Amino acid sequence: MCSPLRPEPAAANSHKAPDLLASIPYPCGIRDWGCAVIRFDQVSKRYEGGHEALSQLSFEVAAGEMAFVTGHSGAGKSTLLKLLGLIERQSHGVITLDGQNLSKVGRAGIPKLRRRLGMVFQDHRLLMDRTVAANVELPLMIGGMAPAERNKRVRAALEKVGLLAYERQLPATLSAGEQQRVGIARAIVAKPMLLIADEPTGNLDPSLAVEIMDLFAEFQQVGTTVLIASHDLPLIKKMKKRVIVLDHGRLVADVAAQEVL
Amino acid sequence: MSTQPEFPMESPLLSDQTRGVRSKPRPVASWREHHGWSAGSSLRRLMSRPVGTLLTVAVMAIALALPLTFYLLLGNLQKMGDALGQNQTISVFLQPGQGGSAADLMARKLRDHSDVASVTVKTPAQGMDELAKMQGFSGALHTLDNNPLPFVLEVLPTPGASADSVDRLVADMRDMQGVDQVQDSGTWRQRLEALLGVGKRAVLVLAVLLAVAVLLVVGNTVRVDIASRSEEIGVLMLVGASRAFVRRPYLYAGIWYGLFAGVLAAGFAVAVELALADPVARLGKVYAGKLQVDVLPPWLLAAVPVAAAVLGWLGARLVSAWQLRKAA
Repeated sequence: MCSPLRPEPAAANSHKAPDLLASIPYPCGIRDWGCAVIRFDQVSKRYEGGHEALSQLSFEVAAGEMAFVTGHSGAGKSTLLKLLGLIERQSHGVITLDGQNLSKVGRAGIPKLRRRLGMVFQDHRLLMDRTVAANVELPLMIGGMAPAERNKRVRAALEKVGLLAYERQLPATLSAGEQQRVGIARAIVAKPMLLIADEPTGNLDPSLAVEIMDLFAEFQQVGTTVLIASHDLPLIKKMKKRVIVLDHGRLVADVAAQEVL
Repeated sequence: MSTQPEFPMESPLLSDQTRGVRSKPRPVASWREHHGWSAGSSLRRLMSRPVGTLLTVAVMAIALALPLTFYLLLGNLQKMGDALGQNQTISVFLQPGQGGSAADLMARKLRDHSDVASVTVKTPAQGMDELAKMQGFSGALHTLDNNPLPFVLEVLPTPGASADSVDRLVADMRDMQGVDQVQDSGTWRQRLEALLGVGKRAVLVLAVLLAVAVLLVVGNTVRVDIASRSEEIGVLMLVGASRAFVRRPYLYAGIWYGLFAGVLAAGFAVAVELALADPVARLGKVYAGKLQVDVLPPWLLAAVPVAAAVLGWLGARLVSAWQLRKAA
């Protein structure tokens, strides 16, 4: 039995206009609040050539929780996220995602699992020859959603990230921060159970970075589990969320949200 | 224990009907939609680079048109051979001055030959009539004072006689006194048949080789296309696209290439037909009376684009499977 871990509404967002995306139901469903959505159990990752990116890593992230993974360059942050997205496979240990052992997910199961995740990348990974709306629509189209519903969701997601006015534009016409927000809209449009972001503010100036992090916090408020890899310590401290610290692939600290100074 | 989080904020964009309800499964509609999107997007991609597409299609069309053209030429040769050698008779032309009695005597002798089935004597008058009908200048022939044509014996070898025994018969007849010339259309026909047989086999081999060439052209085009869009493929896979989803536009691209090339190849073949029609008719007139050009049957012209589309799909499928395995 898991204890409820419903987040408190963020004070910063309490004055905001009605949330368009929030009213869209989760297609994937999420498990009980407070239950572990992510579980790493003695996970190691050794690349060809012998480099050990992660070493006997064990931790859990509860449903609806937002956590940062931090550490210096090469600490294993990106590898951790790649393991969750099944971009890489662990060498040892067990990773459980929403109760599913990732080692047992076959090649055919990878796309299905990825449809339950939202992934945000430092370099946005947008399709530059498609409009903003077409980029955001991709996960829904791949998931086979009806066009009318897709359109509603895309508009809601773009509204959420403040880019509805740009839906017909090509990503190249947008600033880096706006492109990142398109990436976030694409990641959250299917209401994933888990949102993972790899250095999502790496290329942004500090004020934009805070704006992006606030967006992630908002998604956490409506029940999305959020895991962000970042080395931006001042920003992490500002967000006052749980922090998992890695060093040379090992977990060296796991700081609860209330303990973040 | 709480399960689903509440969403306290309402959306003006969404009706309450969608609240808390997953998208209805719509596998058939979704499948149809994906195929429609893949077909459309691949066609648009091809059209967005018209020169490259046209060159690829033209190379494929020429490769497909070559066996079709050879098939057409062989068909016409066959038809001409049929017209020229409707029967395998051997014509024995007697020397000028040999009369009807000599012709009858020679015919009787030949009828006793074991390799001869029948002998027909054609008089110079009959020969003149045939010539007038065949060449169409009967007026000119009738102005001649004398009939210059000799008596002719039309000898039909025994059915099933070997080429060697027919050759011996021809040699015997050449040695007969009073014989001016022996024309063996049967041997000529057999040789033509043998040559046509070789030609048909060559066309078959050529068709297979060129079909492989079409496969390779499509495969290489799709390979380059996939390589140039590896970033897009990576993004699609990261947002949950299956390999089948990613591969589908490339398969449609192969189908489009094949289909366009097939239509163009059929067009080339029809153009060759039209170009051949007049010379073949003239040739036929000279040698075999009325002869029309042999055309490719409509079913074959319709089958070429379909078969080419299948080839295109196959080429794209083989290469995309291999390329995407590398990309995944």
